[in-house]
Amino acid sequence: MSTKKSTGKKRETTVKKTDSLKKEMVKLKQELKEKEDKLLRSYADLHNYQKRMEKELQIKEEETKKKYISELLNLSELLKKAYADKSPKDGLKHILNNIDNFFEKEQIKSIDCVGEKFDHNLHHAVTTIEKDDCKDEIIVEEVKKGYMINGKLLRPSQVIVAKKKENE
Amino acid sequence: MGKIIGIDLGTTNSEVAVIEAGKPTIIKSAEGQPYFPSVVAFTKDGEMLVGETAKRQAVTNPEGTVHRIKRKMGRGEKVKASGKSYSPEQISAFILQKIKKDAEDFLGEKISDAVITVPAYFNDDQRQATKDAGKIAGLNVKRIINEPTAASLAYGLDKKGDHKIAVYDFGGGTFDITLMEVGEGVFEVLSTNGDTQLGGSDMDQALVDYLAGEFKKKHDVDLKKDPKSLQRLSEAAENAKIELSSTLQTDINLPYITVVDNEPKHLELKFTRAKFEELIAPFVDKTEKPSEQALKDAKLKKSDIDHVVLVGGTTRIPLVKKKVEEIFGKVPKRDVDPMECVAIGAAVQAGVLSGDIDQDIVLLDVTPLTLSIETLGGVATALIERNTTVPTKKARIFSTAADSQSSVEINVLQGERPMAADNKSLGRFHLDGILPAPRGIPQIEVGFDIDVDGIINVSAKDLGTAKEQSIRITGSTKLSDEEITRMKKVAEEHAEEDKKRKEKVEIRNNGDALAHSAQKTLDELKDKISDDDKKNIDGALKELRGALAGDDVDKIKEKTDKLSEALQKASTAIYQQAAQQAAQQQQAAGTQTDKKSDDSWAGHPSDEDKTIDADYKVKDDDKKKSDDKKK
Repeated sequence: MSTKKSTGKKRETTVKKTDSLKKEMVKLKQELKEKEDKLLRSYADLHNYQKRMEKELQIKEEETKKKYISELLNLSELLKKAYADKSPKDGLKHILNNIDNFFEKEQIKSIDCVGEKFDHNLHHAVTTIEKDDCKDEIIVEEVKKGYMINGKLLRPSQVIVAKKKENE
Repeated sequence: MGKIIGIDLGTTNSEVAVIEAGKPTIIKSAEGQPYFPSVVAFTKDGEMLVGETAKRQAVTNPEGTVHRIKRKMGRGEKVKASGKSYSPEQISAFILQKIKKDAEDFLGEKISDAVITVPAYFNDDQRQATKDAGKIAGLNVKRIINEPTAASLAYGLDKKGDHKIAVYDFGGGTFDITLMEVGEGVFEVLSTNGDTQLGGSDMDQALVDYLAGEFKKKHDVDLKKDPKSLQRLSEAAENAKIELSSTLQTDINLPYITVVDNEPKHLELKFTRAKFEELIAPFVDKTEKPSEQALKDAKLKKSDIDHVVLVGGTTRIPLVKKKVEEIFGKVPKRDVDPMECVAIGAAVQAGVLSGDIDQDIVLLDVTPLTLSIETLGGVATALIERNTTVPTKKARIFSTAADSQSSVEINVLQGERPMAADNKSLGRFHLDGILPAPRGIPQIEVGFDIDVDGIINVSAKDLGTAKEQSIRITGSTKLSDEEITRMKKVAEEHAEEDKKRKEKVEIRNNGDALAHSAQKTLDELKDKISDDDKKNIDGALKELRGALAGDDVDKIKEKTDKLSEALQKASTAIYQQAAQQAAQQQQAAGTQTDKKSDDSWAGHPSDEDKTIDADYKVKDDDKKKSDDKKK
C-alpha cells in the first residue's frame, strides 16, 4: 500500500517536473526566438549603418572636391585676366603668391632634392646618369617636383641620380 | 578566432583584403595605396625595402632589387641580390611580411592566418612554394586558391548553381584565360591559356610612341630621349588611356614639354578613342587565340559559357570589353573592381573559413523599393529607403492637415516616384478618434516594421490618446526582378516631370502652411503688431489665399514670399520692441513666438531645405522637409 502511495507520489512529482520542464522549454524557445530576431536586427542595423556611412563619405568627398575645384576656378579666372593683359608679369606674380599662400595654408611644402643624397622615402628615381665628378647616389636633376603635406609625403620627387662610372 | 586576410600575391603588384562586418574591404599599404608593388630591395646600407619604397629606388640599385619573383616560384632557382642568394620563397615571404604588418596596423589586431591566391596553371611545387613563403612570413596559410576561382567568388558565382565560367585576366604584364565549371560551390578548372608577354604596359608604350612620333613630325625633336619629357609623356599617355575609357575624345596638353633653340615647345594634341583603339587593337586581338584555344581544350563552344568575369586593370578599356563579348558572346561581369576582385574573392574565402561570413546572415534581404506613406497633396513621403537591409523598423511623427481633423488615412506605398498616385499602394487604413485640435498639434506616430521574411507591419498611434491601428502586409519584398526593374525604370524616365510636380505640390503646401501660421500670428500677437504691419500681413494673406484658390504655382510662390517678408518685418519689429522691455517680458515675447510658427518665423524664405512646417509635422531629428498629410 505504502509502495503504491510512494509510486503515485513519484509519478506526481515526475509529472510536475515534466510540466515545469515543458514550461521552461517553451519559455526558452520564446527567448531564443526573440534573441535571434534581435541578432538579425542588429546585423541589419549594421548593414544599414554601413550604407549610410558610405553615402555620407561620398557627400564629404564631393564637398572636398567642390572646395578645391572652386579654388581652381578662382585661379583660372585670374589666369584668364593675366592672359588678356599686355604685360602680365606683375599680375602673374600676385597669382603665384595666391597659390603659394593657399599651399601654405594646406601645409604643403615642396621637397628640395638636387644635390642631396637619394632617399627612397622622398624620391623616386626615374633613371641614372654615369658621372665622374659626382658622388654616387647624388641627385643631379629633378624631373618632377615632389611635395609633403602635413609632414607626410604627398608625392615623391621624380629624380635622376648620379652613378659613378665603373673603372674598367 | 582572429581575422583571416585574403592575399592576391601578384607578379607586379599584390593586394590584400579582409571581411569586416560581413563586407570585403581592401587594405591600404602604409604608403596609402590600395596595392603593394611586389618588389623587394636590399640597399647598400644593408636595409631591406619592400613595396613602394623598393620600387622608387629600383633604377639606382638594379643589382639589389628583385622584381617579378612570382615567375620563379617553385622552380628550385635562387636569385641573387646585393651579393647574397635568396630563394623565391624567401623573397615572396618578405612581400607577405610587409602585407601582414600593414594589415595589422590597418586592422589594429594581430594577423596569423591567410588565404593566398595563385594562377590556375600553378603546379604542386609552385603552390607548395607559395605556402612555404607564407610560413616563412609567419602566416598560417589556411588555403591556397586559384585566382580565377577567387574572382568568381568575389561575384558570388559559387552560389548560382551549376554553370561554366570564363575568367579573362588582362593585367599590366600578362594575359590569362581560365575556363571553369562550378557545381555545388566547388570550382573545377577545365582549361587555361594565356600569354606571359602581353599586357597593358605594351599599350602604354604604343601610346607613348605615337605621341612622341606626332611631336617629332611637327618639331623634329625626339621627346623620348629626354627623361623629363618622357616622364610627362608617359603620365599623359596613362591619363589619356583612363580618360578615353569613358569619353570619345581627349585633349593632351603638355606646355613647356621641351626647349628647342631656346624656344619653349608645347605638345598639343586631340586624341580620339578611334585613334586609341587603332593603336591598341593589335594587343587586344592577341587575346583571341589563347581564348579560343582554351575553349577548344575544354571542349566547349562559346555558347556553353554562362558567365564571363573580368580581372585586371586593362579590362577597363571599352575595346577590351568589346573583344571579350565577341569571343564569348556574353556581356562580361564588371561591377567589382577588376584590380581588386581577386583579393576580395580571397577575403570572401577567408571570411567563410573564419566564420566572418555566416551564410545565413549574408543572405539578409533588402527592400527592393522605397516604402512610403501618402502625405498632404498626394506626396509620397519615404519611411524606409530602397536597399535597406531587413529586418528593420522606422518611425516618424506626423500631424493633421486641418483644424479639428478627427481621422487620418495611412496609405502605404511602394515605389520610387515622388507622387503617391504613381506608386503601388500596398494597403490603407484609418486611425480615428483623434481629439479635436488645431492642425499640426496632434502627434501621430507612424511606424514601419519589416521582419526577416519581408512582412511589413505598419502602425499608426495617436500619442495623445494612445489609440493605435495597424496593418500587416505580406509579400512586399517578393516582387519579381522584372517588376522591380520596370518600376525603377519608370521612375527614372519620369524623374524630371515628377520633380516638377512634387515642387508644385510643395509650393502649394508651403503657401497653405504659411497662410495658416500667418493667421495664427495675427490672432495671437494682435496687440504687439503695429497697424501698418497688420495691414501689410492682412493684404498679403488675402492675396496668397486668392492665389491658393487658383492653379498658378508661380503666383502662389510669389505671394508666399510676399507674406513671408511681411511677417518677417513684423517679427523684427516685435523683437526690437521686446529688447527694449524688461528681461522678463522679453522672455515672454520670446516664448510666444517660439515653437508653433518656428519655421515660418525663421526668416529663410529662400532656403529650400527649410520648407515651412504645417499640417503633417515631422518631429524627426533630421527635420529635413516638412511632410504633410491631408485628411
